[in-house]
Amino acid sequence: MARLLVQLKLRLLRNALRASNGAKVGFIVSTVLALAVAALVFIVLALLRGNGASVDLTTVIFTVFAFGWLIVPLITFGLDGTLDPATLALYPLRTRPLAVGLLAASATGPWPLANVIGLLGVTVGLASGGFGVLIAVLAVLLQVMFCITLARFVTTALAGMLRSRRGRDFAVLLILPIFALYEGFIQIVPRLAASGRLTAASFAGLDTWLRWIPPGLAAHAIQDASDGHPGTALARLGLLAGVIVVLGWLWVRALGRALVTADTTTQSAAVHGTALPFGRFGLRGTVAARFWIYQRRDPLSLIYWGIIAIIMVVASISTVLTPRYMVGLIIGGFLGGAFVGNFHANAIGLSGPAFGLEAMALNGRRSMRAYFSGQNLAMGVIAVPLLTAVSFGLAAVAGHPLDGFLAMAVDLVGIGAGLALANIFTAAFPYPVEKRSGTPTPRPIDGYMGLSAGVVFLSMIAVLVAALPVIFGVILTDTAPAAVRMPVLVLGAAVYGLALTWAGVVIAAQVAERKVPELYQIAVRTRL
Amino acid sequence: MGQPAIEVRGLRKSFGDKHAVAGINLEIAAGSLAGLVGPNGAGKTTSLSMMTGLLRPDGGQILIEGRDVWADPPAAKAIIGVVPAEVRLFERLSGEELLEYSGRLRGLPAAEARDRSAQLLGVLDLAADARRLVADYSTGMRKKVALGCALIHNPSVLFLDEPLEGVDPVSADVIRQLLTRYTHSGSTVLFSSHVMELVEQVCDHVSVIDKGEIVATGTIDEVRGGKTLQRAFIDLVGSKSTGEEGLTWLGSSSS
Repeated sequence: MARLLVQLKLRLLRNALRASNGAKVGFIVSTVLALAVAALVFIVLALLRGNGASVDLTTVIFTVFAFGWLIVPLITFGLDGTLDPATLALYPLRTRPLAVGLLAASATGPWPLANVIGLLGVTVGLASGGFGVLIAVLAVLLQVMFCITLARFVTTALAGMLRSRRGRDFAVLLILPIFALYEGFIQIVPRLAASGRLTAASFAGLDTWLRWIPPGLAAHAIQDASDGHPGTALARLGLLAGVIVVLGWLWVRALGRALVTADTTTQSAAVHGTALPFGRFGLRGTVAARFWIYQRRDPLSLIYWGIIAIIMVVASISTVLTPRYMVGLIIGGFLGGAFVGNFHANAIGLSGPAFGLEAMALNGRRSMRAYFSGQNLAMGVIAVPLLTAVSFGLAAVAGHPLDGFLAMAVDLVGIGAGLALANIFTAAFPYPVEKRSGTPTPRPIDGYMGLSAGVVFLSMIAVLVAALPVIFGVILTDTAPAAVRMPVLVLGAAVYGLALTWAGVVIAAQVAERKVPELYQIAVRTRL
Repeated sequence: MGQPAIEVRGLRKSFGDKHAVAGINLEIAAGSLAGLVGPNGAGKTTSLSMMTGLLRPDGGQILIEGRDVWADPPAAKAIIGVVPAEVRLFERLSGEELLEYSGRLRGLPAAEARDRSAQLLGVLDLAADARRLVADYSTGMRKKVALGCALIHNPSVLFLDEPLEGVDPVSADVIRQLLTRYTHSGSTVLFSSHVMELVEQVCDHVSVIDKGEIVATGTIDEVRGGKTLQRAFIDLVGSKSTGEEGLTWLGSSSS
């Protein structure tokens, strides 16, 4: 069974090279990335040699890997068939050989290999002496085995929930903390390290409690073996092996249960409320009602709003903490508005075939104006308070909470320009999208990658250009009294932003009015 | 005979070198429940998409109760309802919200849309699931709620693409009854299918399409010519496999 499932996994990996261009590129990029991560982690761990906090940092790195193994399968569930026991439930397989086979299949592929190679950096960085290196190799193998068993146990135990619509919705929202951690790591950590506020010594003592979790046991076993405490080292590895055995046992039990448990896909709770809102506002209100509900119920919409807030914070926080904090506030406001536009610049493509229902009712410029302005109302109701709250939060962090009004002015014009461009691009350059593996955010289908990238690029540039008068207004009125400057800038930006949005609605309606069938033919190719 | 409910003249559509619809002509009388049958890839969905204003034709004319679909789309779209083959709806609305949304898109006042929505949910046997998200509906429930969306503005002509595909017998019976009741009031239905038994049971008119051309059209009796519709259909479009060769291992008498 193990051999069969490993062969299946290898065949699936080989087939990825014969799939569509997008899938092929995705596989190659993923493999290259795995190799790069392996090399990088190996080097980082090896460079810890002689560092006072080497065991602390190794523990942290081991823990981060375990966390990754735990979270990523939860998000990709449903995209990787080998993770779902239901795909194997029809075959006459006994639970134990199936479990061994799935474990072996999990350990096959570029990423598990990258894990082993990367973590073996401890043989240079932390281990010393023949026995130390031997224990290091064993510790790495046990650490990877722990990660795989943990990931398998959690995904199998949660399989029933993850197959349900509500479970999947919840799981995809996990992308937000991961995105925040990732962005924080690549944006903030290098700057803190460069300024000397983050050093290896910052991690000293961090493992006082991490040492007792399995990744900590592995790291400390290496140190114990290298420091001449073979008994303690072996005891720690024994404890880690025991944890793996218990997890494996729990996993086999969960697998046995999952293979005979009914699918809960169609079990769901009712929604609250009986009617759509904005019933008195005609077609505009009708469209606004649908988009408003989607912003609250569609996980993709929630992810987009979360990402916008994270980008605003991460891109500006390190500047906000300096005397040039105003630059950070302006950058945050501009990026917030630009990404509001980017994420909604293909509204019809993202609606998918359901757009057919709307297409039957959209005739002429007047109805298209109502369609786009209805969307903008729903977006604006969320974007304005969200971006304003983030901007005021950043201004408070900078120690100048009142300057949040200046950032708010940039937010307002950014949102206005972003929504205007979103409407125009939706009408002029729509494209179909599809699910992609490993992330809940969709990607353009093959042949539309360039268009999608162009839309993002143009949108960013255009929002920046449109926001320049307000940005200059903020910079050039620096010496004016705040009581005059702030209301004028906020009101001016609000009026200017509204004018931009209205111009976008008018242009988009003019572009779309005669191409509703073509827009539908694009939307109908979307696969979400 | 008065003005036909649906009149199609010389309708054409090509995708590259492939002629998906090669100049079809069709007339469906008002109050008729008509079937458009053909094998997979014959051009049924393409034809229906063009008739409903969702796919621009290369040539030809489509009149719905005398209104030209492509010269005056608002006038034609106002009197038609559509259920596409692959029913993908706004999944994050509840069935109740989706019907109200559809009604309001079609210009109904909110209260009227809500009222009709409740009635349709009752008739379609979806009242108990009215507040569940469409994302959690089964295939049959989706087809039924999509039919409700197509009917809520009371169109005089209804287009259905494979309306009973993947639908359980109970839901299929509900849909059949509703369509029969609808046409008895003088409204017209044109639906595509490749299930001959269904067409034979419910339709009074049938057109057979193959390789983008109408190869037979008329009443059910005229088209089947004394045979079953299934037999007549196979004779018209041709059977592609003898089924005799190969698979000698298949069956309980083999090991």
